[in-house]
Order: sequence, then C-alpha cells, then structure tokens
Amino acid sequence: MRRSLFHVTPSGASGFVFAGVCFLILPSFLGSYWLSVFTSAACFALAAFGVAFMYARLGMVSLAQVGLMGVGGWIHLRLNYLFEWPFEVNLVIAALATMVFGWLLALPALRMRGLYLALVTLMAAGGLEILFATYQFPNGGEGFWGVKTGSFSPFRGPVIAQSAESYLRYVVAVCFLGFLIVEAHRRLAPGRAWAMIRRSEAAAMAVGVNVTLYKTWAFGIAGLLAGIAGGLLAGSLGLLDDGTFRSSESVLLFALAVVGGARFWLGAVITAVLYRILPALLNTWGVDPDIAYMIFGAGLLHAVITAPDGIGGQLYGLAALMRTKFGTRGVK
Amino acid sequence: MRDMRWINIGLYVVLMVALVLWLGAGKPFKITGMFITSGLAVGSLYALGGIGIIVLYRATGVLNFSGGAAGAAGAMTAWQISEWGWAQPVAWIACLLVSLVTTLIYGRWIASKLAWRETVVKAVATLGFALILLGLVSFIWIDDPRSISLPTDKVGISMLGLRVTGTRLLVVVASVLLVFGIHQFLVRTRIGLQMRALADDRSLSALLGIPILKVETIAWGISGLIAGFTGLMFADLIRLEPVVITFMVIPAIAAAITGKLENLGVVLIGGLSMGVIESMLTLSPTLKGARPIAPFVIAAVVLLWYQRGARLTFNTKD
Repeated sequence: MRRSLFHVTPSGASGFVFAGVCFLILPSFLGSYWLSVFTSAACFALAAFGVAFMYARLGMVSLAQVGLMGVGGWIHLRLNYLFEWPFEVNLVIAALATMVFGWLLALPALRMRGLYLALVTLMAAGGLEILFATYQFPNGGEGFWGVKTGSFSPFRGPVIAQSAESYLRYVVAVCFLGFLIVEAHRRLAPGRAWAMIRRSEAAAMAVGVNVTLYKTWAFGIAGLLAGIAGGLLAGSLGLLDDGTFRSSESVLLFALAVVGGARFWLGAVITAVLYRILPALLNTWGVDPDIAYMIFGAGLLHAVITAPDGIGGQLYGLAALMRTKFGTRGVK
Repeated sequence: MRDMRWINIGLYVVLMVALVLWLGAGKPFKITGMFITSGLAVGSLYALGGIGIIVLYRATGVLNFSGGAAGAAGAMTAWQISEWGWAQPVAWIACLLVSLVTTLIYGRWIASKLAWRETVVKAVATLGFALILLGLVSFIWIDDPRSISLPTDKVGISMLGLRVTGTRLLVVVASVLLVFGIHQFLVRTRIGLQMRALADDRSLSALLGIPILKVETIAWGISGLIAGFTGLMFADLIRLEPVVITFMVIPAIAAAITGKLENLGVVLIGGLSMGVIESMLTLSPTLKGARPIAPFVIAAVVLLWYQRGARLTFNTKD
C-alpha cells in the first residue's frame, strides 16, 4: 500500500528533475519581463492541471477554471488589504474559499451528464467575467469591493520570496506540491473510485462507490488548484486585471489542456507554455499575436482528431518507442 | 408530462413579465418601452444564435462553438465589400456565403472525422475551428473601429408613440419566422423527418438507410446561414468586432439551454426574455453595471429548475 503510494514512475522521476530545473536553474537566467511571464505560466500550469485531471480521470469538462482563478485572486487580494495576515494564510483561505465556491457552482450540475456540467460552468465563467469587469479587483480602496482609482496600495508578498526571482521559485515549489496532491489522490481511494466512475457510473454505483461524492471531490480539487493559482497570480504583480479572467480564457485554457495532453503532468506544463510563453515569444519576435490563435485552433483540432492524449501523450509515446527500440540499461 | 411543460413555460413567462414590471415600476412608459424594444432586438440575436445551435445539435449531435466565428467572418467580409463600394446586396450575400461555406467546410470534412466521439469532445473540436477562424479574421482585419449599417437602420415605424428602427424590427420578426419556418420544415418535409429521426437515434436511422451525411450537411448549411445572418445583424446593432461576435456564442448557448437544447419555441422565449431583462436592468441603479450577466443567471436558474428532483440515472449507452 505504502509502496504503491510512494513509488516513483519514470514519468514521475522526470517530473522531479523538471521541477528541480525550474526551481534551481531557470530563475537565474531570466530578465524581469520573462520572470513575470514564467511566474504567470507556472500559475496557469497549476490551474490547467486541475481541469486536465478532471477531464482525464472523470471525463468532466469545466469551462470556468480561469474564472475560478479570478475568484481565488479576488479573495486573496481582498484579505491582503483587509488584514495583516501573512501571504500563506491568505493563500490557503483563498484556495479553500474557491473550492467551496466551485462546489456551490457545480453541485447542482454534477448530477447531470458531461455536456451539462460544461454548460453550467460556461455560464458561471460568463457571469464571473462580467462581475470582475464591473467591480474590478481590490487594490486597497475602501468598502467591500476595495477598489480605488489612480494609485494602489502595496501588496505583501511571501516573506521568504520578496524578489521576482525568488517568487518564481516559490510559485514553482507550490505548483509542485499541487501536482503531488493530485497524484496522491490518484493513487489512493479517490483515484480508484474515479477510475471506476470513468469506466461506468452504473458499475461504480453498484459496487458502492458514492458517485456524486467523488465527482464533487474531483471538482473541489480542481477548484482548490484554481484558487491557489489565482492567489499566486495575484502575488506576482500585486494586482489583477479583469481582462485576464474572461470566459473565453477559461474555454481556451481547457482547449489547450486537451492539446497539451490531459493525462500527464507534462501536458499541464505544455498547456501553460502554449498559453503564456508562446504568445510572449511571438510578441518579442514581432509576430502578429493572432497567429497564436490559429496555432491553438489547429493544435486543438489535431489533438482531438488524431492524438487524444495530446502533445504530452505523443512525447510519452515517443519515449516508449525509443525505449523499446534501443533498449534500456540499468534500473527502470 | 406535456401539461407539465406548458406549466413550466407559463411559469417562466409570468416570472419574466413580473421581473420586467418590477424593474420598470415607477418609470414613464416611454423609457421602459424604449428599453423593452432594444432588449427585444438583442434578445432576438441571442435567440437566433440559440436556434442555429439547436438545429445543428439535434441533427448532428454537435454543439457548435464556431457559429459566432463564422458570423464574424461573414460580417467582416460584408464590411470589406461595402468598403470597396460594391452594392449593398452583394455584401449581404457575401456575408451569408462566407458563413455558409466555412461552416460547411467544418461540417463536411472535419466533423465527420469525429462522429464517434463523445458530445463534449465534438463541442471542444468546434472550438478549435472557432479559434482558427478568429485568428484568421483578426489577422486579415487588424483591430480598428469599424461599423456597418443597413438601409433598414434609416427606416422605422412608430408604435404606441415609440420609434422602432427597421433593423430591430427585422431581427425580431426574423427570429419568430425562423422558429416557425424550421418547425414546419422539420414536420412537413422529408429531410426534416430524417433530421428528427437522426436526433432520436443515430444508429437506428443509419440502419434504416437515412443518408446521414446528406442530412447532416444540410443541417450544417442551415446553421451556417443562420450564423451569417446573426453575425451581420449583430455587427449592425451592437458592434462589428470579430472577438465580440465570436464569443456572442456564449449567451446564444445560454438561450439554447432554456430550450433544453431541443425546443425552438422555448429558445425564442428564453432569448427574447434574456435580452429584455438585460436591457431593463439598466433602470436598476444597483445592478446597472452587471447587466450583461442576465443571460447566464437566467440560464443557470432554468437548468436548476429542469433538473430538480432528478437523480443520477443512466442512459442506455452507459
């Protein structure tokens, strides 16, 4: 039991290495622009992992993930200006509150089948977009909404990560923990229940799995990850802009999670690279950003039609092919 | 069961009327009337979008996110053609044609590759197509304030002391006629019968020898034409901006939800009421800023209402 929980797969090992590189080496090479791009990419990787795992494990589609990130970010900023609590406390509260918020949205829809959950979350994303655009994000003003025009009050970042460089490390570390939480779930009772539900809800119910509970659980984890990601994103610049959380962005993030490969951690990373780093690259190269849309669209169609496991799946397939072709030496 | 449906619709209409009366209470008729007519026009656009979505969804099982993008491509083409100084009708026909052709390309060559996948996957795939179209359209026509105006903007009629422009009247009448026309088409023609058969059970229809590809292509065509018309009207009445027209598909889906993705008449009622409530919210000092939220809240409430008392059950395919 314990062995299966802590067993490290080749994919997991490469994940550790990748996280290590991102944590130790990457931040030292980046200028201030790229530091903020990579920080935001790491936040979106975490959020993307939330939708992706829900889609891969249960076939549930959430089109409100970026909207939920906005909720997490809003709560985090609100707490930051309301109390003198440390960053981490705000982050945890924001994440938990987002999880509860996600439940409230999805609970009625969880009893419905695939398409309807997607539609309910799409409506939620549409509603959140308008709320954010109308009331904006707190920046230290008075009242419940806490918005003032002109200047904005300073934001308290984490004590251990005050510079942009250390903040990227901080975000990478938190993301890594988030990925581990999901993986641990997958290996314990919820993971087995999810696998059963994915196969057949009727069979799962027949063997005594509480289908609604475990679906809600999965949605809660996705909400939790979105909340963390939103809180971390708020910490990156100390402020948030409503344009980040449009409903079209939620839809795009889900689409890219499919392109990246929903079943793997690598898929979430690829999603974030496509979503945040590719447009920034195109921007620095002076390429029209509309090209990114075309690439995303074509990538999505390609992924849906020919590669159900996305780019991540294709890379894993390639790795497996290499292993069988050239053989592996030493310990697997 | 049938009675229940009428009670539901009746309840909905009564609720909406009550809401409108409450929002308009104490305001002069001239003002409320103005907001109601403008709301009806916007609502017709939602309804038109929703009708296009449902016609296609019922016949092919594809929830199409790319209708807005096809409409945007059509509307931008129409703008370009009138910029070149060609006759207006050419621009309108070009708009419909562009939307029709792009939708058919997807329906005929891409959607058929996905026929065996889950509904959600099919819906997501159309999103990919929407992104390609949106990228292409925004690439060709860079961001710039544009507008399009139809000759119907200048004509107008007076009703109960209110002036209603021709375009607004046109969309409302068009959405009502379209619901009626499609209903007749489904009930009276052979293709309509085949579409209903497909909506009912695809594999059985195939066994019976219904030419699925042909029927589906026709459904894609109809939805493409509706998308083109909606795009043109949206460009005239609200804004000519590819991103905005593309994502108009989201409130259109909200309208489609009110009809449970199957009933066109209810979609019309749902869409119109969403538009009117959204417009009437301008009169409320507290909710004014968040008024575009109306379609989503209404759709969410309707969904909740539909599934009250529902338990987790299994369809035969599980």
